[in-house]
Amino acid sequence: MIIVMKPGAPVEECNKIKMGLEKQGFYINESRGVNFCILGVVGDTSMVDKRRISANDWVEKIMAVQEPYKRANRLFHPENTIVDVCGQKIGGKKLAIIAGPCSIETTVQMNTVASAVKAAGANFLRGGAFKPRTSPYSFQGLKEQGLDMLVEAGENNRLPIVTEIMSIDKIEKFVECVDVIQVGARNMQNFELLKELGKTNVPILLKRGLSATIEEWLMSAEYIMSGGNDNLILCERGIRTFETYTRNTLDLSAIPAVKRLSHLPVIVDPSHAAGMWWMVEPLAKAAVAVGADGLMIEVHNDPENAWCDGGQSLKPERFADLMQELKKIAAIVDREI
Amino acid sequence: MIIVLKPGAPQEECEKIKGILLKNNFQINEIVGVNMTIYGVVGDTSTFDPRLITVNDWVEKVMRVQEPFKRANRMFHPEATIIDVSGVKFGGKRLAVIAGPCSIETKEQMNTVAAAVKAAGATLLRGGAFKPRTSPYSFQGLKEKGLEMLTAAGKENNLPVVTEIMSADKIEEFVDCVDLIQVGARNMQNFELLKELGKTNVPILLKRGLSATIEEWLMSAEYIMAGGNERVILCERGIRTFETYTRNTLDLSAIPAIKKLSHLPIIVDPSHAAGMWWMVEPLAKAAIAVGADGLMIEVHNDPENAWCDGGQSLKPERFDNLMKELSEIAQIVGREL
Repeated sequence: MIIVMKPGAPVEECNKIKMGLEKQGFYINESRGVNFCILGVVGDTSMVDKRRISANDWVEKIMAVQEPYKRANRLFHPENTIVDVCGQKIGGKKLAIIAGPCSIETTVQMNTVASAVKAAGANFLRGGAFKPRTSPYSFQGLKEQGLDMLVEAGENNRLPIVTEIMSIDKIEKFVECVDVIQVGARNMQNFELLKELGKTNVPILLKRGLSATIEEWLMSAEYIMSGGNDNLILCERGIRTFETYTRNTLDLSAIPAVKRLSHLPVIVDPSHAAGMWWMVEPLAKAAVAVGADGLMIEVHNDPENAWCDGGQSLKPERFADLMQELKKIAAIVDREI
Repeated sequence: MIIVLKPGAPQEECEKIKGILLKNNFQINEIVGVNMTIYGVVGDTSTFDPRLITVNDWVEKVMRVQEPFKRANRMFHPEATIIDVSGVKFGGKRLAVIAGPCSIETKEQMNTVAAAVKAAGATLLRGGAFKPRTSPYSFQGLKEKGLEMLTAAGKENNLPVVTEIMSADKIEEFVDCVDLIQVGARNMQNFELLKELGKTNVPILLKRGLSATIEEWLMSAEYIMAGGNERVILCERGIRTFETYTRNTLDLSAIPAIKKLSHLPIIVDPSHAAGMWWMVEPLAKAAIAVGADGLMIEVHNDPENAWCDGGQSLKPERFDNLMKELSEIAQIVGREL
C-alpha cells in the first residue's frame, strides 16, 4: 500500500500516520519526491482501513499495490482450480455446457428440453424455479414445485442441475437437491447470502453483478471462499453500459482478466448478455475462442410461448447446430466439448 | 510514479528497468514487500511514457503519483484563475451567465432573445452558427451568415458573444468577431483544433466530452494552454451513462473535483445535460449551490418552433424567473449574479 501525502504536508503529520502503522506491525518506507512525500507500507495491508488514513486532510491519495482478495488470487494459487460437480469437471480441458430454459414451466417442457440438450452434448441442465424479475407483477417462478420438476428432469437425463437461489432460507433445500447453486447478478453483493453459502460445500456459480467491476466480483467470490467453500465458478453475463440495443454488453475481456487475476474457472452466459437469440450463436463462439471454461445457454422447445425471456432462447435444433460449431472452435483453442 | 513488479521478477529484469529510469535521470527508491517489490520513481515523470516500463512482462502495474497535467494543475497555481471575456469575468465572485438560443435562426429571433436575456441579467449571448448534429441530414446551422446575426445582436445589446467552432479553418474569422470561442463536447479531443486554438489569445470555453474523464478533460485544456493560451474556461454539460431518461447525466461532482485539481473557472450547461426544459431550473440551482462559476442556458422566444433543441430551451419569462431564484442561491454560497 502506498500513501501519497499532499505537497507541503507537515513532518509531524507524516510521522503521525507512520507511527500509527508501525504500531500495527508494518514497516514504512518513506520517500521524498519533488512535490510529494510518499509512504510505502510493507506487510499484509488487506485488513487496513484505508478510509481512516485518507480521513487525514494531508493525505492526497492511497494506492493499493496488492489486490484486496487473497483466496481468489492467482498469486497465492498459481494452478487453475478445477471444480468437480458430480463427476463433471469445470475448469479443465473439457468445457462445461449448461443449457436449459430460463424458467421451469411444466414437467413435459423440462423433460423435452433436458433430453434435447443432453443429446446435443450439454453436460449440465439449467432452469429457474425462483426468478428475480424486475417487475413484482411478472411471473416469479414455480418455486419448490419447479425445483422438483428440475430435479426429476436432471435425474431422468443424468445431467447435474444448476438453479438460482434468492434467499438464505432456501439454502437447506438447495443443498439437498441442487448440484450447482447459482447466485444471480442481482444478488452478487447480497453479502449475507454469500456468507451463508460459504458455510456449505456445494459448488456455487457466481454471476457478475450488472455494474460490478472485476475486483468487486472477485471480492464477492472471496466472501464465499473465506467461509470455507472453495468450489466456485464465475460467470460473465454482460454488464450495464450506455448501449441499449443489446440487453447488456458482454464483457469478454473479463475472461482473460479473471484468468490472470484468479485461479477460478469462469464461464459465459451469452443469452442474458445479448437478450436476443440470434446473437447467442456468435457470442458463444467468441466466448469459447477467448478462453472461457464453459457456457450457460438458454434453450426452450417453444420460445414463442415461453413464460420468461423467450426472445433470448434457442430452439433445440439451433442449439444442436451451435454445439457442432463450438466443437470446432474448442479444438483450435485446445479445449473439447 | 510507482512501479509494481511481479513476484519473482529476475534480477536482470529489475536491472533493465532501473537502467531505463536512471537514464531518464530519475531517482529510484526500492521497497521490498512480502510478495511484491516496488520502485518509487522520484523526479518529474509527467513527460515520461510509462509504456516504456509496462512493456516489460515482469511489471505488474505502473501507478502515477502526480497528475499528468501541469499548466491546468492547481498545485503549481494555487489561486483561482479569473478570465476576462470582453469585460465579463469568469471565476470571480460574480457568476457569469451565458444565455441564448441553441441555433441562430433569424435576425429578429436573435435580437428578441438577446434583449430578453440581457434584461433578465444574462452577461453573455450564445447562439450556434456551426452546429454539430448527430445526423448529416439535420439543420447544420446558418454558418457565416448566422455569425453575423449573432455579433450584431451582441453589439446591439452590449453582450459579449459565445459560439462554437468546428474546424481550424474558421479560427481566423472567429478571432475577429467572437468574444469566447466554444469547443463543443464532440471536439474536446480534436487535438489539431485544440493546438491551433492554443496559438490564439481568445478565451476558450471547453466543454467536457461525452465520455471524457475529468483527467482527459483537463488534458484537453492542457493542449490549449501548452500552446500559450491560458484563458480556458471549462464547461460541464452532462456525460453519457446508461440512463436514457435524461439526454445526458449531469455530473455535478465534477465541479468540486475540478476546483480541487485545477485553478481554471468552470461553468455548467444544464440545458444539454437534461435535454428537457423543465429540468433546467432545478439543475441550474444545484449548479450554483455546488460552486460553479457560471451557467450556460438555452433560451428561445418560441421553443415549439425552434430549428434545433426546442425541447430543452426556456422561454424568456421562465429564464427571467429562474435568474431571480438563482440570485438568492448565489448569495447563500457567497456569490452574486
